[in-house]
Amino acid sequence: MHAFAERFSTNGAAAELRRAKEILGEDDDVSDVMWGSSGGFGSLVNGVPKFAVPSVPDPTSFLRMHTDDHADPSCRIKIKHGTTTLAFRFKGGVIVAVDSRATAGSYVASGTVKKVIEINPYLLGTMAGGAADCQYWETYLGIQCRLHELRNRERISVAAASKYLSNLVYSYKGMGLSMGTMICGWDKTGPAIFYVDSDGTRLKGDLFSVGSGSTFAYGVLDQGYRWDLTDEEAQELGRRSIYAAGHRDAFSGNTINLYHVKEDGWKFIGNYDISEMHYNGPGGADGYGYDVRVQGRTSANPPPEAAAAQA
Amino acid sequence: MSIMQYNGGSVIAMVGKDCVAIASDLRLGSQAMGISSHFEKIFPMTDRVYVGLPGLATDVTTLHHQFRYRLNMYTIKEEREIEPETFAHLVSSTLYEKRFGPYFIEPVIAGLQKTASGDFKPYIAATDLIGCLNFAKDFVVAGTASDKLFGVAEGLWEPDLEPEDLFETIAQTLLNAVDRDAYSGWGAVVYVLTKDKVIKRELKGRMD
Amino acid sequence: MAAASVYTPAGFDFSNEVRNSFLTERGIPLPKATSTGTTIVGCLFKDGIVLGADTRATEGPIVADKNCEKIHYISESIRCCGAGTAADTEFTTALISSNIELHALTTGRKPRVVTAMTMLKQMLFQYQGQIGAALVLGGVDATGPHLFTIHPHGSTDKLPYVTMGSGSLAAMAVFENGWRPNMERAEALELVTAAVSAGIFNDLGSGSNVDACVITATHTEMLRNFVKPNERVQKERSYTFRRGTTKFKKEDIRSLVVSEDVIHTGEAMDTS
Repeated sequence: MHAFAERFSTNGAAAELRRAKEILGEDDDVSDVMWGSSGGFGSLVNGVPKFAVPSVPDPTSFLRMHTDDHADPSCRIKIKHGTTTLAFRFKGGVIVAVDSRATAGSYVASGTVKKVIEINPYLLGTMAGGAADCQYWETYLGIQCRLHELRNRERISVAAASKYLSNLVYSYKGMGLSMGTMICGWDKTGPAIFYVDSDGTRLKGDLFSVGSGSTFAYGVLDQGYRWDLTDEEAQELGRRSIYAAGHRDAFSGNTINLYHVKEDGWKFIGNYDISEMHYNGPGGADGYGYDVRVQGRTSANPPPEAAAAQA
Repeated sequence: MSIMQYNGGSVIAMVGKDCVAIASDLRLGSQAMGISSHFEKIFPMTDRVYVGLPGLATDVTTLHHQFRYRLNMYTIKEEREIEPETFAHLVSSTLYEKRFGPYFIEPVIAGLQKTASGDFKPYIAATDLIGCLNFAKDFVVAGTASDKLFGVAEGLWEPDLEPEDLFETIAQTLLNAVDRDAYSGWGAVVYVLTKDKVIKRELKGRMD
Repeated sequence: MAAASVYTPAGFDFSNEVRNSFLTERGIPLPKATSTGTTIVGCLFKDGIVLGADTRATEGPIVADKNCEKIHYISESIRCCGAGTAADTEFTTALISSNIELHALTTGRKPRVVTAMTMLKQMLFQYQGQIGAALVLGGVDATGPHLFTIHPHGSTDKLPYVTMGSGSLAAMAVFENGWRPNMERAEALELVTAAVSAGIFNDLGSGSNVDACVITATHTEMLRNFVKPNERVQKERSYTFRRGTTKFKKEDIRSLVVSEDVIHTGEAMDTS
């Protein structure tokens, strides 16, 4: 399109970028010329937005004093914690599975939390740690990813998106942000997963699990993982792993949300009740539960053949 | 983190029409991790006296044995079965003896008390960890989900429930309360005591 | 080693102390016991003493018991209201009550209020405030009516009108305003009710009903639930569940009825 016409048109990418800049109050002086490489400067050119901090001598310890329910269970502000999230890469793309429980102390505050944040049709973020922190910054990341798309006329890579987030949270290091997230998606390089947390850690990998129930999820995941899993097998593995965590971990549970990222973007596979999985399983025939699988047979109540053999 | 929450677990008892019910969850945890879903916290002391012991699991076992021992001594000396009210006082004084080094248990007692006319009168009681008795005419609760149980029971309980209706009320109260508590759940068990039978039911509860 | 006695000696048992203080050192706090937030009062009138108490017991922010009894029996004409750690008030008054009974049997006289007061204060002082009982002791004996307060550390006061517990300020305001010497029984009872009510309505740690006890030289009248200003109204609808709502995995019914079939063997007894 003609450059002049594009500048004044009310639709199209340039117009949308212009409107976004107005809303965000970005400096228009940063002209397209300055975006030399496709990577660009990143929009950190204006610095990251800053919070208003409490006017006390040490805001960080002030916040910690009132929110650290581990050290002091009677602290005034209980930030919602506890989660199991997992994501793994395989032949057929990326599987993302999470539970849906939010707890404040021992109280189950909600059983219907959406812990997968749909950043855009090709990117997913998972949520562990502070719910508000994850939700706010991953939504913010979504805005920045869209701006990147408009500026550079191509989708942001998973690596770039995750690095944007990790740089952002690192600038708040020590100020009380709490998030452990996996940025999952599909870009030019294929399926990708990056683990990003509020300490500033950023890791690329094939398989991650984050949250209080992650050890239980890893147990099932490691045991069943192969690169050449079929789509159905992979989805079942994700579901089965979150079930295991929801079963054993007090702070995980209620329901499973399952996503599958493929070349054409992510797809929501389904929401599964963990108790339903325990008793009946996803097909309604085979429950995952131990008691269900052994059908009440234990050392105290062995099957008749075994009892006969012993006698 | 309170020591009362280390293993988790909750108990509730309710009064009905000529019957009582006592129910508990079946979870034994080690903080956030579930260990067993077959950990019973309710013990029959006589045919018509049941005691629920939520709290620290090591003390659940210790106190169960302690109560059984003291109960046997009582039965031998008195040559009769103990009444629920007497048993409640036995529990209370056993705990208060350890006033300055308590067991981390908040017992709940449910039973049927023999009246002068030979009938049975419902009796429930609960104590705190140093043995302060709380007799109630409606319901008593204890354990990690006690505040949630209080809320649900206050809404659902009503006087003069028949045994089968009492079962539904106590079961629904327990199941819904423990679903909101991270440290309780993993199955549940209900005992309904009537004058001529004891019904024990293992409920199908959420397993997460 | 001599065989361990099956009888444990009287008094407190500290055998869990090592374990529990280890836990406390590790930063695990001791759980809270039931306390009676409480408004307890007592006042002198022409013929004796009126004691009053609310009926709420709390565990932190939870109301553990909506209708507990805080006026404890010491002897026929001595009663004691308790505030503080519920178990302590319960067991301390029970212990002193039995010692008073034994004392009365030994001396062959009716027990005096000062005797009970002295026993209580000596016990509480011995435990250096570790037994968290704050008491209002009142009664009538050969020397006339007496009213005491006893603090957890063992100090005592003797006054014509007293209040204790978290609602004591509200209750004392009523007494300061309304108490006069030589009141009639009805007046005194009304004043005590008003004082406890002030605690019930203005102090969050106190609530539910008013218990009162009127002690005179000849008669003691325990007025359990004398006023019930907080009765719950009938629920507007029933919340029973349809039978069969709750799914269960296993059922085990144990019959307590012993049935016995008598089978006659041999010949019937000769009853001729």
